[in-house]
Amino acid sequence: MNHSLDDYIPVVGAPVIGQLRNLSEKLKGLRVLHVNSTAEGGGVAEILNWMVPLMRDLGLDASWRVIMGTAPFFSTTKAIHNGLQGRGANLTQKDWENYIEVNAQNYAEMKNDLEIADFVVIHDPQPAPLLDMCAGRKGKWIWRAHIDISHPVRAVWKSLRPYVEKYDASIFSMGPFAQLLPHPQFVIAPSIDPLSDKNIDLDEAELEKVRNLFGLDPGRPLLVQISRFDRFKDPVGVIQAYHLLRKVLPVQLVLAGGGATDDPEGKEILDEVKEAAGDDPDIHVLLLPPNSHRTVNALQRLADIIIQKSTREGFGLTVTEGLWKGKPVVGGDVGGIQLQVYNHHTGYLVNTPEGAAHRIRFLLHHRETMIDMGKTAREFVRANFLLTRNLREYLTLFTWIMRAEGKHTIVI
Amino acid sequence: MMDVFEIKDCALLTRMSGIPPAMNLRELRDRIVSCHPDVLYHHFCETVLVPSFDYPDYRNDFAVWARWRLGDQVLSERLGMIDPYLYTSVEELRSATLEIIEERLSEVTMIPWARPGQAFYFMQAVTVVFDTGQRIRHPDELSAAIPRMTKGSIYFHVLEARRRLPGGMDDFTGWLKGCEGNWEHYIRAVQAIDVTFHTLPEIRQELIEAFASKRNLAPKAKRRKR
Repeated sequence: MNHSLDDYIPVVGAPVIGQLRNLSEKLKGLRVLHVNSTAEGGGVAEILNWMVPLMRDLGLDASWRVIMGTAPFFSTTKAIHNGLQGRGANLTQKDWENYIEVNAQNYAEMKNDLEIADFVVIHDPQPAPLLDMCAGRKGKWIWRAHIDISHPVRAVWKSLRPYVEKYDASIFSMGPFAQLLPHPQFVIAPSIDPLSDKNIDLDEAELEKVRNLFGLDPGRPLLVQISRFDRFKDPVGVIQAYHLLRKVLPVQLVLAGGGATDDPEGKEILDEVKEAAGDDPDIHVLLLPPNSHRTVNALQRLADIIIQKSTREGFGLTVTEGLWKGKPVVGGDVGGIQLQVYNHHTGYLVNTPEGAAHRIRFLLHHRETMIDMGKTAREFVRANFLLTRNLREYLTLFTWIMRAEGKHTIVI
Repeated sequence: MMDVFEIKDCALLTRMSGIPPAMNLRELRDRIVSCHPDVLYHHFCETVLVPSFDYPDYRNDFAVWARWRLGDQVLSERLGMIDPYLYTSVEELRSATLEIIEERLSEVTMIPWARPGQAFYFMQAVTVVFDTGQRIRHPDELSAAIPRMTKGSIYFHVLEARRRLPGGMDDFTGWLKGCEGNWEHYIRAVQAIDVTFHTLPEIRQELIEAFASKRNLAPKAKRRKR
């Protein structure tokens, strides 16, 4: 369901919405085209699902195209994705050729839209070569990297960089993720939509329904990690932490995630997780369909503590979601989780299954601390990580690029 | 006849400065020596508009980094007490910062280092300033107008103004001084706010309280005259 900007007034206040309307006054009518590689599943699709309608609400002519690909293409882009995040990737010359070929096919499909757009925002590496093909482009092109490329596999970055460096600007989720590029590099942290099915308030009846659906015991603490089944999310490490806890506390664990059409590795990891979980009835490994947003929402609200024990993380929107629901988060001390989890304030950063078990055990014995952290967490997200801030930063970027003055301050 | 106060707003976007990150205190010093003034200004003054956790005890990025990444509490306490708005130029602020770092380097036997992944990244920002269309026509309207202001407006009129106006003045003070009548009670109330040690929502609240509490304190003769 698409919301209008005014629907967010009760959440962020009228001045914040007024600010967006004022800032977009000079951008009305601009054609903004977003391109990514999946329509559902994963954080990017979720962001574009709200961003495009809200940009339209502000008077921008915003649209969203998804590139189509074959199974080998997505295997290649997954390997590129892994390589950029520093994990070994065996990419052959043929893989790269296929990568370019599929992009060329997509270019032919969306050539006109790409040529006439005032701003083209290319999300992540999958559609990055489109710029090279679009000789007739008239607008400014921005590459938006949602992942942590602070320590890429050199060969992968070396192959991708020639496509990326031609963009007019790039956006990273955090400063440390940026690579040296010959154009301005901006930092925009992602955000969540507080009115989406994933984050909207749910009534008790709906929570009970989900609790019963998965056979969760209301009398025992519940730990929840929501994420794709991906090695960087360390689901097996979470199960190890659970085993340490079970020696002293009767906790239950939910590991829930969906698949994404551009992630062929998910099945393999899911099998590993199931094997690690064994036949323990208190470990619930759930592969959820892509539209299970309200189920995810309910699971996060049913949780006592949210876990996100990633070993690499772009930003970690599931952390933001957990904080927004007033839950302390025990998260890996990496990437964007460090931007959101502050020890003793909104949760704890950990490096090992032992560290996770230790912090969870402490929190479960200090319920008052959990409540205080939850309150801080929600207000922290309200001030910093809701979609209105994200939208404002995009509008600021468009304005700054349009004026092309390169100055610190622009008065419009 | 009074000039109207035009309520402006601003939006800030962080960008990479292009300076290599600092892994230790010596590198931090070397980068601060040569960085663009906008970089220093960003880490001291603009950090309140950046989406980040607000550490109430440290008001600039260098102090936060010294405390949590270098683990040097002595340095963080010294850096944390730098009030950027007490300096008349960024170059003076740079000198004061370097003085503290140099002093610390002379005291320690080993250079403090950050762990991998915890380097200091030098950033700067771009800012777009725009008109909200809202106007204040009389000083007594301030208390009603402030609650409607965004964090960007508060930043622009209270903090950014000090870089823009002579004498490190905020926009409210500048406007009140030019208004017909005696508005010293408002001016004193605004200037009593310790802007460095407040978050933007706190500054907004302080302004609301300052203008509301002083609203009926204008000299009666002058009020009648208008």
